[in-house]
Amino acid sequence: MKILVCLKQVPHSDARLDIAGDGKWIQEDNIKFEINSYDTYALEEALKLKDAGEAEVVAVSIGPDRVTQALRTALGMGADRAIHVNDPAMEGSDSLGIAKVLAAIVKEESPDLVFAGLMSEDGNFAAVPPMVAQLAGLPSSTAVMSVSLADGTVTVERELEGGALEVVQLPTPCLLAVQSGLNQVRYASLKGIMAAKKKPMDTKTAADLGVGDQVGAGAAKVEIEKVYTPPRGEGAQLIEGSADEVATQLVGKIKELGLL
Amino acid sequence: MGTILIVAEIQKGVIREASFELAAFAQKLAGSGHEVKSLVVGQGVKGLAEEFAQRGGGEVLVAEAEALANYSADAFTQATLAAVAASGADLVLISNTPSGWDFAPRVAAALDAAFVTDCFDVSDEGGAIGFKRRIFNGKLDAQVKATGTVVATVQPGATPAFEGSTEGKTTDLDAGIGECKTKFVEIKIAESKGVDLTKADVIVSGGRGLGAPEKFTEVVQPLADALGGAMGASRPVVDAGWLPHEYQVGSSGQVVTPKLYIAVGISGAIQHLVGMKGSNFIVAINKDPDAPIFEVADVGVVADLFDIVPALTAAVTAAKG
Ligand SMILES: Cc1cc2nc3c(=O)[nH]c(=O)nc-3n(C[C@H](O)[C@H](O)[C@H](O)COP(=O)(O)OP(=O)(O)OC[C@H]3O[C@@H](n4cnc5c(N)ncnc54)[C@H](O)[C@@H]3O)c2cc1C
Repeated sequence: MKILVCLKQVPHSDARLDIAGDGKWIQEDNIKFEINSYDTYALEEALKLKDAGEAEVVAVSIGPDRVTQALRTALGMGADRAIHVNDPAMEGSDSLGIAKVLAAIVKEESPDLVFAGLMSEDGNFAAVPPMVAQLAGLPSSTAVMSVSLADGTVTVERELEGGALEVVQLPTPCLLAVQSGLNQVRYASLKGIMAAKKKPMDTKTAADLGVGDQVGAGAAKVEIEKVYTPPRGEGAQLIEGSADEVATQLVGKIKELGLL
Repeated sequence: MGTILIVAEIQKGVIREASFELAAFAQKLAGSGHEVKSLVVGQGVKGLAEEFAQRGGGEVLVAEAEALANYSADAFTQATLAAVAASGADLVLISNTPSGWDFAPRVAAALDAAFVTDCFDVSDEGGAIGFKRRIFNGKLDAQVKATGTVVATVQPGATPAFEGSTEGKTTDLDAGIGECKTKFVEIKIAESKGVDLTKADVIVSGGRGLGAPEKFTEVVQPLADALGGAMGASRPVVDAGWLPHEYQVGSSGQVVTPKLYIAVGISGAIQHLVGMKGSNFIVAINKDPDAPIFEVADVGVVADLFDIVPALTAAVTAAKG
């Protein structure tokens, strides 16, 4: 069995978010990056299937040089090889452009399963995975909270609102975009990190994949015009002072509510 | 000008409130010359389609088929594509709900269309459609522009539901549903276990900012106990296995409205906010002054929670005498 895992590297959850000079994204220089948290769950689910039987796990990521770090981490956790699409011509691509590149890889690799995270923690689009599936002719499911595989049929539980779950069946090959919390994500062991150095990492461009003319700002149908700090309404009344002063004032508020 | 297609959503036998919110956005755009049409899919949904036609849906295409009786990504994608072809729509609006985010991207990819998700504002920019949406889990907003055929999902609750009445009509649509690989099996309703947060007067919720599971017993629980309240949590706390799911507040957890909600080390992502913003009084303790939680809080403390919460627990205990 071959499993493809789509990973995105995103600004670290504790990174400072300063708006870039052109106002169209955040300042990415000198901040820490990490694998998108939803995608770590996707990778873990693939590695669990590998542990349970025979599987080759291929990690795929699109982005600049820094992305090799994310792919090395994935290899250190147990992925067998990596594909890095590193192509300055992809700058400014929208979700559809990204999906076309990933769909081209899916067609080239013909995996039995494709895993991705439900959404990215930076753009919060939650768009790419089902788009990849549609373009590659695969069925898909999202917000997946459990996966079981038997005789070429995948049964998943999708998360609905308020804790309800929807049980869905799909044939392989298919794509699953997983929700956070469906497993406990492993850490890369020291041994894993050492072994990762010898694992293969292919570098490709969109043109190598035959979709060079469908990516980048020129092909994008969606453009981010500006990012900005959300307008703050009245917001909260801020209480300042030492911890004890703050506590005393808060107790005053709680008394006003009749709760003390 | 173009045609808007609203894809309405039926949940538990009625049209979701979120669909009437789509109607509100569509009717706003109708003001700048767009025609409004809708799609209602399911089985035995004619009556609902007629209701929607009169409450903002315009001409409602009704696709009825056995394959559409329950949600399936393939069947809903095919029905929407058939409705786009029949209506000539160049803007498709879908709610960003668990089914919406599952099939809307497939529709966009099949149409080779612009795709924008989870928007809270939609406007006509003359030749393009402008959207506003949150990024970085609510820490920033983005203004985006989409051109050509556009598929967009809209955040539930982003605008009040359309309240007016419109002259609409319904038209049957033969969606010609072909092979469906994704198959609906069943819906499992979560059984509620020990903790029912919806009945608590006071909830003290902890987030990822707590940093470690033992901090819940050391820091959060004592404050909840002192106030005679319950402990809650944000999703990452539950995902990490620090607390069971029944403690989770938010769109995929419990929706709570206590008299007092204290959010500790929680940033305030929209999925958390929808679960607690109806609380009577909200206190937020967070070291990041820009955390979106301060937007919904009545009182905020910008400080290290490990300084403030123990002091507050002591002060509450002292006040009780
Ligand atoms: C479909 C879907 C459903 C979801 N459902 C839910 C849901 O039901 N409930 C939910 O909560 N989330 C839900 N989420 C996740 C949501 O998007 C956020 O990821 C989550 O709410 C973030 O949790 P958090 O605020 O605890 O963590 P973070 O966003 O990481 O915030 C941690 C906060 O702690 C603060 N902090 C850190 N250390 C300290 C300190 N020492 N003192 C003070 N402050 C500190 C930081 O400044 C930060 O603001 C859902 C997401 C999706 C996509």
